[in-house]
Amino acid sequence: MKWGQLSALLGMKSMKQHIPLIGEFELTGRCNLGCKMCYMSHKIDDSKVLYKEPSAKEWIELAREARDMGMLFILLTGGEVFARSDFREIYTEISMMGLTTTIYSNGTLITPQIASWLGSRPPSQIEITLYGASQESYEKICGNGDGFHRALRGIDLLLDQGVNLQIRTTVVKDNIHEFEKMKEIAGIRGIKLGVVNYVSPRRDHLGKNYDEMRLSPKELVDLEEIHSAAQAHQVNLSEPLSEDSLNIHKELLEIGFQEDDPFPCSCGKNTFWVTWDGRMVPCSIMNKPEAYPFEEGFLSAWESLIRQCSQIPKCKECSACDLKEYCMTCPARLMNETGSYEVPASYLCQCAKERKEREGKNYENLHKTNN
Amino acid sequence: MRVRDGFMLREIAGSWIVVPIGERVVEFNGLICLSESGAFLWKSLESGVENEEGLVKALTMEYDVDEETAVSDTREFLATIIKSGLVETEYEMGTA
Repeated sequence: MKWGQLSALLGMKSMKQHIPLIGEFELTGRCNLGCKMCYMSHKIDDSKVLYKEPSAKEWIELAREARDMGMLFILLTGGEVFARSDFREIYTEISMMGLTTTIYSNGTLITPQIASWLGSRPPSQIEITLYGASQESYEKICGNGDGFHRALRGIDLLLDQGVNLQIRTTVVKDNIHEFEKMKEIAGIRGIKLGVVNYVSPRRDHLGKNYDEMRLSPKELVDLEEIHSAAQAHQVNLSEPLSEDSLNIHKELLEIGFQEDDPFPCSCGKNTFWVTWDGRMVPCSIMNKPEAYPFEEGFLSAWESLIRQCSQIPKCKECSACDLKEYCMTCPARLMNETGSYEVPASYLCQCAKERKEREGKNYENLHKTNN
Repeated sequence: MRVRDGFMLREIAGSWIVVPIGERVVEFNGLICLSESGAFLWKSLESGVENEEGLVKALTMEYDVDEETAVSDTREFLATIIKSGLVETEYEMGTA
């Protein structure tokens, strides 16, 4: 069975049985960078945040409980995970639990020593986020110009150790002019650049003017077109989908995404996120619903989360909208954009409208070319 | 032969998955999916069965299966795990 088929099969079965297959652990809320579009991070020396973070022992025990309930995939993220002085202790224990581990990092705190020990027992994958392709952009976006060179150094140290590494970027107004340069940085290292194009308002609703920093709907759809065109060239078209995998995908759609389900993803079905202050939420950008795994135990918290997710209302206006197939709406985004699960978000509506118009223009252009 | 150190067999949502742990990820960064009988054979190797003959015997005792089918299933299982480097053969263990 190929990886994609196995992954889809496990995804399908776990969603049907509400097995917590995918766990995402936000080990710290602190970060050495201060990216202005970040949905939650705090200063690296914020003692109030540090005080609230669960201990290494508590994270390890929680991972063990989740593993015993069926967790196979674990994401270790922050904040910046390497800002935790005890990260090595947490990681080492988790690496022995029979989990497939991914780490998210900004790469700037990677030293030769860290790269060496990580290379000796590597995660399945580490994803480093680039915030630009120059010191100037890092200064402007992250408040730390030196971060650019440190991130590149971290990437190269890890690659030298043979760690499976991916590079991605969050594209905002202040770095979109360097998108091609970031692709080059990844490309010369033999890596594809992953892209996060949607920037969510903070999950804690602390005010920021996101429209000043995130892409306009037109810019966002421009980027999607450029990126998807590049990705299309990398698809192996010589390998047709097997009948098995087609059936799996069909069943996934039937089981995971039923008509009354507000979530177009695995939230509340087989995925959970644990915040730096110890709350279980459906995903990285949701502040509610919440459960308390460190107080009530993993199983009780997981059951509570599933129950609460099933009670989240679906936005009626979005469901009836002609643009819904072009829209990236979901409960998390609606709540962060509008403060309600049931109110359409203007930014998402504009993006969807832009996609539909663009599709129409592309079709017209194609029609003209063919004639 | 014996299962190499650094692999863990897990049952998740009714599927049997072999996961590399710790340092083993350096050389094997992936997952292996086993059938139910494959998982039984894996556990037999872990509990000390050392060769194909022993595995076939264990399989016929556990399942209502004729010897010809058991040999075929065992060989298929062994081919998969040897190819993926999940076991040490007698030669590698220095006992051949």
